Amino acid sequence: MSAIEPRLVDDALWYRLLELTDGAAALCYQCGVCTAMCPWGDLRKEPLSVRTFLRQAQLGLQDGDQSLWLCTTCAQCSAACPRGVDIVKVLRALRLLAWELRQVEIGLPSVLWSLHWNNNPWTQPPSQRAGWAKGLDIPAFDPQQHEILFYVGCTSSFDRRSQKIARALVHLLDAAGVRYGYLGEAEPCCGESALSLGHSPYFREVARQAAQTFDEHGVTALVAISPHCYDVFKNHFSASMNNFEPMHYTQYLAQLLESGRLRFNQSEETRVTFQDPCYLGRHNGEYQAPRRILASIPGLELVEMTQHEEDGLCCGGGGGRMWLETPAGERFSDLRVEQAAACGASLLATACPFCVTCLEDSAKFKKLSGMQVLDIAELAARTVSNGKH
Amino acid sequence: MPELRQVVCMKVVPKPEEIRVDYETGLLKRASARSEINPPDMNALEMALSLKDFYGGRLEIISMGPPYFEPVLRAGLAMGADHLTLLSDAAFAGADTLATTYTLAQGIRKLGGADLIFCGEESSDGATGQVPPGLAEWLEVPQLTLLTALELDIECRVARGRREIKGGYEVLEVPLPCVVSVKTASNEPRFMDYRRQYWASEAERLKVWNAEDLSADPDCIGLTGSPTTVSGLAEAASRERRRQFLTGTPSELATQIAELLQKSL
Amino acid sequence: MVTSHYSPQAENKTIWVFLEQQDGVLEEVSLELLARGRELADQLGWTLEGLLLGQHVAGLAPHGIACGADRIWLAEHDLLEHFTIEAFTQVACQLLLQKRPSVFWLGATPNGRDLAGRLAVRLRTGLNADCTDLRIEPREGLLVCEVSGFGGGVLAMIEMRNHRPQMATVRPGVFALPHPDPSRVGEVISMEIDLDPAIIQTRVIERSVGAGLNLSRVPFLVTGGRGMEGDFKILEQLAQLFEGEVGATRPPVDEGHVGRERQVGQTGVVCSPKVALCCGISGAFHFVVGIEKASLVIAINSDPEAPIFEYADYCVVGDVHEVLPELIAVLSGQQVTYA
Repeated sequence: MSAIEPRLVDDALWYRLLELTDGAAALCYQCGVCTAMCPWGDLRKEPLSVRTFLRQAQLGLQDGDQSLWLCTTCAQCSAACPRGVDIVKVLRALRLLAWELRQVEIGLPSVLWSLHWNNNPWTQPPSQRAGWAKGLDIPAFDPQQHEILFYVGCTSSFDRRSQKIARALVHLLDAAGVRYGYLGEAEPCCGESALSLGHSPYFREVARQAAQTFDEHGVTALVAISPHCYDVFKNHFSASMNNFEPMHYTQYLAQLLESGRLRFNQSEETRVTFQDPCYLGRHNGEYQAPRRILASIPGLELVEMTQHEEDGLCCGGGGGRMWLETPAGERFSDLRVEQAAACGASLLATACPFCVTCLEDSAKFKKLSGMQVLDIAELAARTVSNGKH
Repeated sequence: MPELRQVVCMKVVPKPEEIRVDYETGLLKRASARSEINPPDMNALEMALSLKDFYGGRLEIISMGPPYFEPVLRAGLAMGADHLTLLSDAAFAGADTLATTYTLAQGIRKLGGADLIFCGEESSDGATGQVPPGLAEWLEVPQLTLLTALELDIECRVARGRREIKGGYEVLEVPLPCVVSVKTASNEPRFMDYRRQYWASEAERLKVWNAEDLSADPDCIGLTGSPTTVSGLAEAASRERRRQFLTGTPSELATQIAELLQKSL
Repeated sequence: MVTSHYSPQAENKTIWVFLEQQDGVLEEVSLELLARGRELADQLGWTLEGLLLGQHVAGLAPHGIACGADRIWLAEHDLLEHFTIEAFTQVACQLLLQKRPSVFWLGATPNGRDLAGRLAVRLRTGLNADCTDLRIEPREGLLVCEVSGFGGGVLAMIEMRNHRPQMATVRPGVFALPHPDPSRVGEVISMEIDLDPAIIQTRVIERSVGAGLNLSRVPFLVTGGRGMEGDFKILEQLAQLFEGEVGATRPPVDEGHVGRERQVGQTGVVCSPKVALCCGISGAFHFVVGIEKASLVIAINSDPEAPIFEYADYCVVGDVHEVLPELIAVLSGQQVTYA
């Protein structure tokens, strides 16, 4: 048996972590429920030891452990934590220290550089941000005329697959007679990648600029496609802005259904199951809005997977994992599509561009040819005809 | 041993996909495009910074260009450079490689020279790749170009660089001081260190030198010092993909693809 | 105005081409330049001359003549056995000043670029790098160089009126290779040179050819996706025909058909080939980021709705398992035989 190496505790680092986390880790009594709950345990021989990270934060240790970058910030651990520790906050703080010590995974600095030069984390030309809307004739946002700002986000602006979600929403908003506009090329990135990757100082800079842009355009009510953008606006933004009401599109569509402005008039005879996006569900407690939409679609039968709502399984794309490679056989989404198949659904609906990407990939990888992955917006748009699109 | 002195030559370029030509004037509409640090120069800075991580010393960024370069280049200070020198004068405008390398060499001389002078492989706007050897010639020092790795023997004052050649690599050794050009994408530039951001924004991080400051020969700078002149500009065929569909039997398709390959390769 | 060491008035109406050689073989780009030079020299009534530097390289001169040169200036020396920037610059400069050609072209190879950059400054003349076309205006003998900048978005025509030689570099493959004519007649002139070993500061420590894989810069990238159903042999065959390399999307890498180092895309390698041939690839955004910089994208997919076609210049709707064997047959000049 090898001796345990003594480790030196660094007071300065300890203090810095305390500051960065508001002492979040102090509550932890090292029970290990977090490690047990972490989905990595189902996929890797060696589970991700969340407990160890919390211990490091308590003591002020940073040892360059690269498994820090595995965390998808799905928050399944904190949901189960008996002490209510904000574990995601602690993980992000440890990541910031890793940035400062230059111990980040290869490829991640390039993500932030892309944000810096391109206003998106996907190294796409900023001038083509509005390219997805070609031929759609969406007006530039005007606070005098418009009820909401339609916030598209980087992924739905540039990723061809995800652009379909944006276009489906345009169809739905038009059908409901919503007066809305968008910012087109001037739309700022929300900075979620910087936040998730733990670079909070840079995130604050991006957020400040974005808030300024919203302010200049007189934005108050905003509807975002991605739960990641929505979470940023709701929980990491609002303090700096007055009367700022960010919504996720599922919440807005649910409102439109309730007020009778939106009606699904074609039926969809399918058995569907729903993947709760972590940043809609666990991070923001919104489980009902997407389900209300699904329930309003005639003919649709909703079945739940073994893990759902508070216990929902992450697709694997959060926490910056969209920019890191996950080896085959270690992808959360592989498990998820199997769960979907097991509950007898032939349609796997979700409400997040990252989820769509990961799940669709896994459905193909697992050769589940009968399983269709759709965003709720796409599914809903199929059941609404307004003759316009 | 005296401290290691490094200079990195950098340039600000408009983002390539946003460039438009003004056909009325025949000039590039640079102003409308978003700018960035020439990406290969970021690889050069990263290589220099990693040497600084190890050996310490002083790292200076030098750039020739208009004042709007300054805020863009400050990103390099936040990455770890110590100081920024901008060579800026209306008389520098219109410089081709000969005048550019002359001006940069004058700037580097005025800085007191350096042990290592770094450049990116090429610039994304001009893509000539001729600045590094030209600069080395003006400074009368050896050069190591297209390096993917560099190590120093500080005692013997030599630099050893690994360089890509057709189908392989070679390792070359030259005495210091020397000019180094860094292969594009051979490393991943570190992100800005936000603990340096306030420091990097301070006025004293920047020096601006004009032609007089450099004691530059007026015959050698700007348009006057440039042998080449642009006689015409054209926007190349659109970068939008053509999306032309080819159909036919497998053998007809194969013939069409073969023609495309033979034409393009 | 800065003045070059010799003026247009003192020039000789000749085109010089630097005949770059390595290990006893002339670089193809030098021969391509001879081919273009021959065309222009014939139009103008100029002579085309090659500059051949090295040690024991006289045997390469006849091939230069067969490829179009009227005359080869040959300098052989022990110190020219391996390329060093100091020795080559010194000797080329001496000979250029003696013979004063109007035009001097080099291939834009690593050594060609280094040499050109040094020489232009030493001679105080202009240099147009990576030209995409070269013409000579007949009245004044002005070299007009077409260059592209901003990642190919802008083309510029560049000339120099008052400086000589008019220097330019051209990347391999811009001009077509000549058909050598061994019966062509030309002269080979050995030149006396003056070379001081003390000027050479560069030492070659190690040299290794034929190692490593760098997908990011291969000119021909053949990528395969899920639609290849694991058949990457055929892609290798195809890549070899143009000295290309095989890349892949994530699924075939996951399934172990290709090594991870060949994965192209956001979490793999970002490539900038001249041609990217995408076979059986649906076109996930993660992958597409890796080929966006390609000059030409050809995609083969049986599904006309496949997203990859939105990123392709040529969209080939067909079954890769049928089209690719035909393609290899066409390229290697064979007929396909159906069993």
